[in-house]
Amino acid sequence: MTLVQVIINGVLLGGVYALFAAGLNMIVGVMRVINLAHGELMMLGAYTTFMLFSLAHVNPLLSIPASAALMLILGMALQRLMVERVVRQPLLSSLLLTFGLSTLFLGVALNVWTGDQRSVSYLSGSLSVGGLQISVVRMVAFAVAVALTGATFLFLRCSTFGKTIRATAQHPDAAQACGIDVTRVRMVTFGIGSALAAAAGSLVSMMFTFNPEIGQAFLPKAFAVIVLGGLGSFVGALLGALVLGVSETVAGYFSSGQRAESVAFVILIVMLMIRPAGLFGTNE
Amino acid sequence: MIDPPHAAPSVTEELSAVPESGSGSTAVARLPDNRALRAQQWNTLLPKTYVILLALTVIWIVVFPQVAPLYYVSLALVVLLTVVLGVSWNIISGYTGYISFGHAGFFGIGSYIGALLIAHNLTAWWLAAIVAGVGTALLALPMGALTLRLRGPYFAITMFGLSELARIIVSSWDSLTGGGAGLYLPFLEDRTSNFYAMGILAVVAISVAYLIATSGLGLKLMCIREDEVAAQTLGVNTTWYKIGAFALSAFFPGVAGAVYARQIGYIDPITVFGVIWSIRAVATTMFGGQGTIIGPILGGIVLTLASEWAWAENAFAYQIVFGGLIVLVVLFMPGGVMRLLELRGWIPRTRQL
Repeated sequence: MTLVQVIINGVLLGGVYALFAAGLNMIVGVMRVINLAHGELMMLGAYTTFMLFSLAHVNPLLSIPASAALMLILGMALQRLMVERVVRQPLLSSLLLTFGLSTLFLGVALNVWTGDQRSVSYLSGSLSVGGLQISVVRMVAFAVAVALTGATFLFLRCSTFGKTIRATAQHPDAAQACGIDVTRVRMVTFGIGSALAAAAGSLVSMMFTFNPEIGQAFLPKAFAVIVLGGLGSFVGALLGALVLGVSETVAGYFSSGQRAESVAFVILIVMLMIRPAGLFGTNE
Repeated sequence: MIDPPHAAPSVTEELSAVPESGSGSTAVARLPDNRALRAQQWNTLLPKTYVILLALTVIWIVVFPQVAPLYYVSLALVVLLTVVLGVSWNIISGYTGYISFGHAGFFGIGSYIGALLIAHNLTAWWLAAIVAGVGTALLALPMGALTLRLRGPYFAITMFGLSELARIIVSSWDSLTGGGAGLYLPFLEDRTSNFYAMGILAVVAISVAYLIATSGLGLKLMCIREDEVAAQTLGVNTTWYKIGAFALSAFFPGVAGAVYARQIGYIDPITVFGVIWSIRAVATTMFGGQGTIIGPILGGIVLTLASEWAWAENAFAYQIVFGGLIVLVVLFMPGGVMRLLELRGWIPRTRQL
């Protein structure tokens, strides 16, 4: 495997990271809630695809809308029933709440699906381009991820509801004074964020073997991406995701898969050290 | 402000609850008289109660392993372990308000230091445990110096990152730690000594927590929690106090990790660095009441027994129990059981509880 191929693999991986981080980015931006259960929402998306595939033989790509829709509903319900109650409280309340939710979902998933490794075998071949072997499923996943991230970006940028979301992110009180139903905006935002996580989960289920703990493995990656790219900046987050993906595969190429795992943590910690507080866009 | 509004007695309010001698104080006048008096009665009564409870606990620790079946002794060891985790987490997160998701890292580091010393027969096991605690606390110093500059959620997430990073370093350092394959310790016929060690550790941890909470040091830590800038303005060297409290809170899980490693006889990075140790510390303290002395003890006992019951029902149920409890506490019982009792008026606001 040449270095060029490793870098291409990293870019393809980065696309999925971008999609996963985009949802978290929206939630943090709009309601200043660092959703520690975001990884578990992704994990539930992965299992939705897995269940549909293994029980009903649904094409994994076609199951993406299903898993996104399910998590959209779950996310909106979570926000309405729980997160909304702590939005106006200090950040730590929501941090602990979502930490509890993450533990709860993980426990439930381990109960239902056990800790066994699962996989969805789909498009397992690879394409040969100019001497490089590129996995088909990774290319498809990259394309879908970039398309969904781009669609979300356009939705926020151009649609009226997207504008109300951005307004709420900028200044909730002013947004409310302008007649925006910020409670509803927060609910929909949490739903969309969860749906994006679920879509990323569905893609991940085709690329890797996974078990319920995959959400915990992916969450730090989303933090690293957001910290690299900057809060609320979609383009920045996309670049951050590509940087993370490539750094990980290159580290894995020169060292071991285990050390590659540490890349996200190193980026996260170093960035927070160099630019504390400013990175999530709030200064308390 | 980084501090949840529910966190335990506010410093100013408590100070004002102490009746002042001399010219008619406005501080006392603001409070109903009986409440101020009651708090004073409690404050004279509580130290004696604690001494008696301490003596009873010591007797229980000595006698219990002699009379109880083996299963209950090892269950009691886990209860003590959880109490140690909760009480020590409370020192940094409850009193100072810096919520850390990195307690698992300290537990894991202590486990490995202790296990390596014991496995290579370098020191007596009890000394290995103490070295593990000191070593973990020393490692916590630079970690604290780096991370405690960060506020609230950034600190919490960075600590989680450091804890995971420690796990990755340990599992990829094959030549020293045996990597992901883990580390075997000598087989033990009689594990009672581990129970005694954990018992002593719990008693020491609780005593230290009591001494901190009721001293000027505790006041300073709580000042940092209430308003760090104000504390600085009043001349509290917040940096040193935070780092000190952080290192102290890392000492106990370090020792506990070493004793735990000796108890189960085999450790690997995934087990001892598992997020579950952080969850245990957070959940027990939040349930009992953060920033209180009794809270984490109460939480440690109740939650360990509850999760043991759940474990018997189903292997993963304990995560549902812990996760569900954290959610319920944040939503409906902020401040935990102790705060609830306080609001009911059954216990007064005092740093002694």
